[in-house]
Amino acid sequence: MDANLLALVEGSAAEGAYFETVCRASDRAALERLAAELEEYRQHATNFYHRVRSIFFLEALHRYFLPPHYPQDNSGTIPFAGHQHCLARRFEEAVGVFLAHQKAHGSSDALSSALAAAYHGLAFKTLAQQVQKTVRLVRGNQWMFRMGHPLDYPLRIRRELVDRGPDDPAPVLFEETAVRMDLSHAAWSDIFFLGMDYPEGAKVLNISVNLGVHGRDSDTRPPVCAFLRVIDEPVLRLTSVDLGATVDVKTLDEVFDFAKDYLGLLKAAVIAAGVVPSGLEGSGQELADVLARLCGPGQGLEIASQVRDIPKGSRLAVSTNLLGCLIALCMRATGQTASLTGPLTETERRTIASRAILGEWLGGSGGGWQDSGGVWPGIKLIEGVAAVSGDTEYGTSRGRLLPNHTLYGRDVVSDRTRQELQDSLILVHGGMSQNVGPILEMVTEKYLLKLQREWLARKEAQEILRGIIEALRAGDVAKVAELTTRNFFGPLQTIIPWASTAYTERLITEAKTALGPAFRGFVMLGGMSGGGMGFFVDPKSKAESRAKLLEIMTRTKRALESALPFAMDPVVYDFSINEAGTSATLRKGFEAMLSPEYYLFFVPRWLRQDPRTLRPEVRREMDRFSATSLYTSGTGSLLGPLMRRIFPAQDDRRRDGAQGGSLRDLLAANGFDSVQHERIRDDLRSGRIGLAQNRLPSTAEVEDVRADDVVPIYGADAQAEKVGLQALRDGRVAIVTLAAGAGSRWTQGAGTVKALHPFARLGGRHRSFIETHLAKSRATSRLCGRPVTHVFTTSHLTHAPMEATLRDEKQFGYPGRVVLSPGRSIGLRMIPTARDLRFAYEEMPHQQLDPQKEKVRQSLHKALIEWAISSGEASDYTDNVPMQCLHPVGHWYEIANLLLNGTLRNLLETQPELEHLLLHNIDTLGANLDPVVLGKHLLEGAALSVEVIRRRLEDRGGGLARVNGQLRLVEGLALAREEDEFKLTYYNSATYWIHIDSMLELFGIDRRNLANPENVAAGVRALAAKMPTYITLKDVKKRWGNGQEDILPVSQFEKLWGDMTTLHDVEIRFFAVPRPRGQQLKDQAQLDGWLRDGSAAGVEKLCAF
Amino acid sequence: MATHIKKAIITAAGPSQRRLPLQSLTDRHGESKPAIAIILEEMLAAGLEKVGLVVSPADRSAYESVLAPFANALTFLVQSAPNGYGDAVLCGRQFVGSDPFLLQVSDHLYVSGAEKSCTRQLLDMAEAEDCAVSAVQATHESLLRFYGTVAGTLLSGRKGLYQIDNVIEKPTPTVAEQQCVVPGLRSGHYLCFFGMHVLTPTVFQLLSDDAVANPGAKIGLSPALARLASREKYLAAELSGRRSDLEAHFGVLRAQIALALNGSAREDMLALLAEELALDATRRSASR
Repeated sequence: MDANLLALVEGSAAEGAYFETVCRASDRAALERLAAELEEYRQHATNFYHRVRSIFFLEALHRYFLPPHYPQDNSGTIPFAGHQHCLARRFEEAVGVFLAHQKAHGSSDALSSALAAAYHGLAFKTLAQQVQKTVRLVRGNQWMFRMGHPLDYPLRIRRELVDRGPDDPAPVLFEETAVRMDLSHAAWSDIFFLGMDYPEGAKVLNISVNLGVHGRDSDTRPPVCAFLRVIDEPVLRLTSVDLGATVDVKTLDEVFDFAKDYLGLLKAAVIAAGVVPSGLEGSGQELADVLARLCGPGQGLEIASQVRDIPKGSRLAVSTNLLGCLIALCMRATGQTASLTGPLTETERRTIASRAILGEWLGGSGGGWQDSGGVWPGIKLIEGVAAVSGDTEYGTSRGRLLPNHTLYGRDVVSDRTRQELQDSLILVHGGMSQNVGPILEMVTEKYLLKLQREWLARKEAQEILRGIIEALRAGDVAKVAELTTRNFFGPLQTIIPWASTAYTERLITEAKTALGPAFRGFVMLGGMSGGGMGFFVDPKSKAESRAKLLEIMTRTKRALESALPFAMDPVVYDFSINEAGTSATLRKGFEAMLSPEYYLFFVPRWLRQDPRTLRPEVRREMDRFSATSLYTSGTGSLLGPLMRRIFPAQDDRRRDGAQGGSLRDLLAANGFDSVQHERIRDDLRSGRIGLAQNRLPSTAEVEDVRADDVVPIYGADAQAEKVGLQALRDGRVAIVTLAAGAGSRWTQGAGTVKALHPFARLGGRHRSFIETHLAKSRATSRLCGRPVTHVFTTSHLTHAPMEATLRDEKQFGYPGRVVLSPGRSIGLRMIPTARDLRFAYEEMPHQQLDPQKEKVRQSLHKALIEWAISSGEASDYTDNVPMQCLHPVGHWYEIANLLLNGTLRNLLETQPELEHLLLHNIDTLGANLDPVVLGKHLLEGAALSVEVIRRRLEDRGGGLARVNGQLRLVEGLALAREEDEFKLTYYNSATYWIHIDSMLELFGIDRRNLANPENVAAGVRALAAKMPTYITLKDVKKRWGNGQEDILPVSQFEKLWGDMTTLHDVEIRFFAVPRPRGQQLKDQAQLDGWLRDGSAAGVEKLCAF
Repeated sequence: MATHIKKAIITAAGPSQRRLPLQSLTDRHGESKPAIAIILEEMLAAGLEKVGLVVSPADRSAYESVLAPFANALTFLVQSAPNGYGDAVLCGRQFVGSDPFLLQVSDHLYVSGAEKSCTRQLLDMAEAEDCAVSAVQATHESLLRFYGTVAGTLLSGRKGLYQIDNVIEKPTPTVAEQQCVVPGLRSGHYLCFFGMHVLTPTVFQLLSDDAVANPGAKIGLSPALARLASREKYLAAELSGRRSDLEAHFGVLRAQIALALNGSAREDMLALLAEELALDATRRSASR
């Protein structure tokens, strides 16, 4: 291999040498040579990170650098066998199949997309395996994987937890732990893979803090705590007080079943702490035997955790620190720490950190190594450490898994500085809830590729960290604020543009204006902004600034809550530096009680129980509770809160259950068809419709198109352009954007309006989909000299917010006519049938996850099937806010609605010259009124022209096919065999050119009788009957508690416009267009690639903002 | 080695073990005698001349009555209060004087796998190396809670002989794995004390320091041994033989079987075991 390339792969290249520079300077042949060399190299590389880096290089070649060299009409297919390997996580085999196909058939855009996906999967699988292996090999953890029989069980409960007088309650061990605030922001360098690859660059200044919600709590406290005591039952009683969940675990299998209930974190802690060692999983042994050896025959443990009302998504690593807290508690109780109470030693804290990593891996999650920082006290610098001989990592990675913690005492950061820090910084939860997972993958890939911009930004972030440390030493908090702000607007956003959101930027701008000179800066916490964040202000005006900030956040949240996923209203925290880290106390005798919230949760349950069945110790505990907490006077009494738990107010019940009248009102107002709904329910229950029935008969023959089935539109076509331009000038065309959807995949069912989602920065600031589409129409209007009419179809969910936004933003300055076409059809979601869930989980193709995550997912699937059965299969889904219970019924109806709601009639009345519509999805950002494509549509003279693009691996969901000889679009969910999709060259981008009069003809009407609602309704009903009804499963979020979210699958039905191509009496053309024109943005994880491969710049060029 | 080890201390004052050494067992030669007598016989046979037996005041007379035949070699050392194992050892300071000595527990019996007794093997090792040596045995991690455990490294070219770096009393597997892994042992096994040490008088100073530093607190031996390892050459030796812990579950029975199987009554013991097994099998098949 070329020496320069070798140096790049091995991370020893000279400063200023980058892989991307080499690639940009290479032609296709040279790039293909590079790929071949790297493939050869990675097969034989013995060094772990050299191998991984070469795989990332290969991915980048196939994803970013080779595709621009392929001609736009370059044909190519993806072998299905390779895709199957990918789904089963056999990435190595997948690469083999794809490369063999490449050798036989030549390289292509399609195949490069498949190779990129396979290399991507292979790189992350390799990295994850290495971290898992290292976690298991950490000294102090290994024994837990060896131990497979209760007779070998080595732990014993500490005597102090067992010794008591005959009438004394069991002593309670109580642990309290801080959470961590990442003041410097590590620039994500604490991701395990990255810290191990480049330990010198993995540094973070991390502060342990206590929190209180401002205005609610009188003081700050460690945000997480946990309790443990021995009980006289051979069970593991696990309780999450804040999640209101408790379970008596009786078998080992239940301990290892993480997603069954809300107690996965407690279970992971119990395992990671060695109380139930990992080696016992699947051993067939009894939990009671393990508990007998631990605590004594017939005895068990009760462990309760509590997050003290700190909302989820605080970006303060609450769950990791709760895991650390629980692990510390369990380790103390089982003699794995020197002291039962008080603080811990450094070695013990490190063991807890390593076990928290293990616990997160067990639970199928994982952040960075700084997250368990709350276990340590005060302010500390956490740094990656080079692996040396004797380390388990040595020879594999350059760095150790676990970093070093250097505590900064008062000699380094003075009391005065600490105080000023607390007085200057306002910690907030902005209320947004987002999945940070994709960002962590993006960073990993970028760092290991050592992209130039990101590399330089990373170095700048390190310099900023040094500056922050110096400023703290010097007691200059204002300088700290300046540096954290520079970090956010500089390196962090250079590395990950998605770390910022429109919400954050608006908050900062408004805060600057409102606070004036009192505003000192901003600090991003955790993986991204929008949730937990910090604002630095002048300490003298902190109280005033705090109130203003809360007002700004609340107002801004209100303005954006339809556009962005918010889980809760913003809150401001009070915080103080926690100088103790994790710490424990032992409560004995009359003091041996758990928290008041624990009793508020348990006492109503005990009261509901037959008093004769209550165990004596429970009765005694109730006595103590009533004596200490119930009949005391003053604010300490829990009588009021207890009564409210026992008799919840009617309003609360309604809010939780959403059984009020508003759902009925919404159904009535949005054209809910109860007769059709009951028929669908009946069909679902009887199995006449369902996921399996979506499919074409297995006898259907699906073939790829023939060469002359599509009209290629890849280059300039002067004649078509002229015709198209003239049509635009004549006002013969309008554009219709389908905007009824909630972007389920975009926000995992958060119920936001996708059209309003400010998804990316374009033209200098965050832009929503609607603004971007209007900007393209503005460009078209300028081109043709006449404003284009732009219609957005809406639904019950999207109409009002879109109307308000267009009004408030004055149509984003768009000079033409903007029309909203409100939905006239609505469905009520149903609880899925177990049959459909099983079909979805077992029959439909899924990307397999790593074994531990897969185990968690399977456990979740089991729990969801049980949920569906217990909630009533195919019954109405009403246990959520009303908006989340309704669903749009597919985009076929969005076109029908144009007729039903009079939008089309009005358009034709005011613009009688209108003849054609361009219909496209909200997320097809490249779709516009391109004169060439329009001209082709006009010249071809078809009723319907459909745009298709050449398929890549990620383009799933059907395409253009010949089904039993008929050329038509076929939906992915209708294909009987998954491999059929891989025969298809073209993917349906869901962009359609419609000749209005021909369409009306299909509905059995014409322009004249559009005004007759009965004719229109009859026409719609008749055509709808010819369209297949698909049952789909969608994820919907149910929010509860403090920013908690459950994601549940619900059944809904839809009819899709693509099925119009199955009608025999329609003249249809299929246009093969360049990929950027049809590319869709479905998932936030696509954003980075979309930006990096030039797609974003391409869209920007189409826009006139 | 210049010094010939002449003295030994046996500790028998532990609250849970005080009476166990008085338990009668049949020794290798078929004679019935208390366990402590068997231990003493092995010591004297190994060449030790004087033995100090640490007992609690209440037990002295019971021990005196059964150990009358050893009166010449035996000195009773009374531990006035149960202040820990380290304190029990410290009771022998005056008795030992300034020479190295053998320290042994009274609730373990040893069966040698070699010609020499376990005691003699250890004495030979200590005399040859001219330093403190603790006998150790590779022990599974599930039993760590019973023993002091050492961290160390194998001396090159010396099978079964280790340089001790640290001593931890009854560690959890977590701590053992972090601090006591010794190359060459099977995974999950650690070097745990065998209940038999040759120590130098330095240990008395270390124990005394502990007693002064923590007045009234129980004093352990392991912390002093951990410090001994940093002061002077201190080795661990795996001996050919095994121990029977009388305090363990079925400990006395197992000790008895081990003694019998290694002595003149081997045939009798085998016949007895076979008979028990046959009876059990007959009863079980009948009950089916």
